[in-house]
Amino acid sequence: MLGRILYNIIGRKQALPEDELNARADAGGILLETGPLAEKTGRVFRRSVRIRQVDAGSCNACEWECIALTNPVYDIQRFGMDFVASPRHADILLVTGPVSAAMANALKKTYNATPGPKLVIACGDCAKDGGIYKGSYAVTDGVGNIVPVDAFIPGCPPTPARIAAGIMKIVRASSKIK
Amino acid sequence: MARNEIYREVAPEEFRQECSKLFDGGRGRLRLMFASDNRETGEGFCIHAVFSHPGKNLFEILALKNLEEKKGVIVFPSITSVVPAAHWYERQIADMFGLLPEGHPDPAPLVLHGLYPPGVYPLRRDISHKEIRESLDLDKEDLSPFMEVKGEGICEIPVGPVHAGIIEPGHFRFSAVGETVYYLDARLFFTHKGIEKQFEGMDFDEGVKLAERISGVSSFAHSAAYCHAVERAADTSIPGRAGAIRTFLLELERLYNHLGDIGNMCAGTGFAIGYAKGASLKEGLMRLNEQLTGSRYLRGVNIPGGVLVDVLKNPAETLRMVDGITAQFKSFIAFLTGASSHMERLENAGVLARDIALSLGATGIAARASGLDDDIRRAHPHLYYGQLIFETHTRRKGDVFARMMLRADEAACSLAILKSILHKAKGKRLEGDIAAQPVKKIPESGQALGYVEGPRGSIFYYVRGGGDKNKKPLRVKPRAASFCNWPLMPFAVHGNIVPDFPLINKSFNLSYSGSDA
Repeated sequence: MLGRILYNIIGRKQALPEDELNARADAGGILLETGPLAEKTGRVFRRSVRIRQVDAGSCNACEWECIALTNPVYDIQRFGMDFVASPRHADILLVTGPVSAAMANALKKTYNATPGPKLVIACGDCAKDGGIYKGSYAVTDGVGNIVPVDAFIPGCPPTPARIAAGIMKIVRASSKIK
Repeated sequence: MARNEIYREVAPEEFRQECSKLFDGGRGRLRLMFASDNRETGEGFCIHAVFSHPGKNLFEILALKNLEEKKGVIVFPSITSVVPAAHWYERQIADMFGLLPEGHPDPAPLVLHGLYPPGVYPLRRDISHKEIRESLDLDKEDLSPFMEVKGEGICEIPVGPVHAGIIEPGHFRFSAVGETVYYLDARLFFTHKGIEKQFEGMDFDEGVKLAERISGVSSFAHSAAYCHAVERAADTSIPGRAGAIRTFLLELERLYNHLGDIGNMCAGTGFAIGYAKGASLKEGLMRLNEQLTGSRYLRGVNIPGGVLVDVLKNPAETLRMVDGITAQFKSFIAFLTGASSHMERLENAGVLARDIALSLGATGIAARASGLDDDIRRAHPHLYYGQLIFETHTRRKGDVFARMMLRADEAACSLAILKSILHKAKGKRLEGDIAAQPVKKIPESGQALGYVEGPRGSIFYYVRGGGDKNKKPLRVKPRAASFCNWPLMPFAVHGNIVPDFPLINKSFNLSYSGSDA
């Protein structure tokens, strides 16, 4: 919404159309754990999802790509998604980073503070299994070791187009289920 | 051993005095201080302190070797009382090696939170990742006390580690009097990933990948500094064209950071159009990065010995794109400086005094906006910087306004450097290979510093050879710019209103991950 107003003011229609976004995303590799997804969501996420991004020790590249999702080029608000400030307002936790030991407890608390039905997306290679940090004493080798994960978006970091396409894929998968 | 480094061993009782002499009341600069566990080479635990003097392309490195044990604890003389810039380094050394800085005014733990049991020192070489991991208690809360401000009307505001925006984790404890922040206590190192120890288990090619992932938007600066250190330790040099390419990409990285930061400051004042314009400009640069190197974060370009991607292949085409960005940049800055409601918020907010910047060893934008003329590119010319003519921009006031305008000045300077390199490439004056023989081994005695001026300030690496059959390092110490600048925050925030904190924070744009490593 904000994005819509903004690029009307700026006078540049630079937002990528959805098909071009998908073409750029190279959506291969986005993994859905369809089992728990089907049980959890139902019709909840049809037209509106609210995402809480949690940095669990990433190098900060994934965060910048998430921030880029709200710029006038990607403008994900037009697809009915937005980032929110509190886990209490969220449908999806988008977790980045290998989960550093010091963040494990904070991530668990954030998960517990998110009302159900909720989804957890692990975003970025290190969120899957620790990536390059795998085996280090200070990380826990992936989000799945701390909270249950429903989907994974690969890349180091995944491009904004890929993150947007990944979230849309998950939203679609959940809205098909009646 | 590299030509502009002098290593000198000193006795523990002279250490403080010698450091104080080199620091010279703030005229010298403490660039890096670290410990290493060299018990397997017979040097025991060592401490190194790296100093440089403005105007001299020389690093003087004081070394303490074979630290002695006193009453069951290994100690070294703290230099924080004479070199305040050492305070975080010494606390880090105490956490990671269990070496006690004797005489440190505040020897509280810094890096390791309460979930790490006492007596576990991760960087000692006789303890493995697995052993440390098994000793951790992930559910344990960190209960170490925050600095408490007492008095009538003092209110504590805890924030984090999970913040409201899309930013990295850290805990801030404001002690506010009404709206005004009296004191800010920041607990960081939530993103500590044990990177220093990981380096020791990696060969030099893999090490570059890890260096790229210390801090997202400084990926190229970190990998360039790491490669610089490895190359110098192995006593090799890189071809001229590779040096020019690294210089080009360092400036490109600075450019996209500075423009993104200027845009983000608009988010701090609620100036949505400025933010949107800055974000669009940054996105354009990220795509240029992708087009040139295949990575939006300039990853996968550096290797010890040169670069893998020839980004100067089509100079004419790149030049046209840089010209387009220059035009957009100029109109963006003109637009912002004309927006008085935005600019007035920036003035006098988050003032960092020059003497505090000096004594705490500020670097980069934070230092230069407070009047310190400190730029690694000019102080220690390397890569292609020696052949370029450019100035170091400084501002005096040290407020958010100064940091924003300084970024604009430096972005203009970076654009000029990009163009100058592209013109040289176009005129076929930068011909040659892009990589020399890749560096696979460092001799056992090889040690060197690597450094670059990253977007946030100076980045230093120390690499010492002699690990596993010389194919792995014995010690790698990365030092991100943000490690030097985080301790400045409480001083810059003092006396400002709480709602200005995000703005002040954005004006420094410090990396949590880089500092936490």
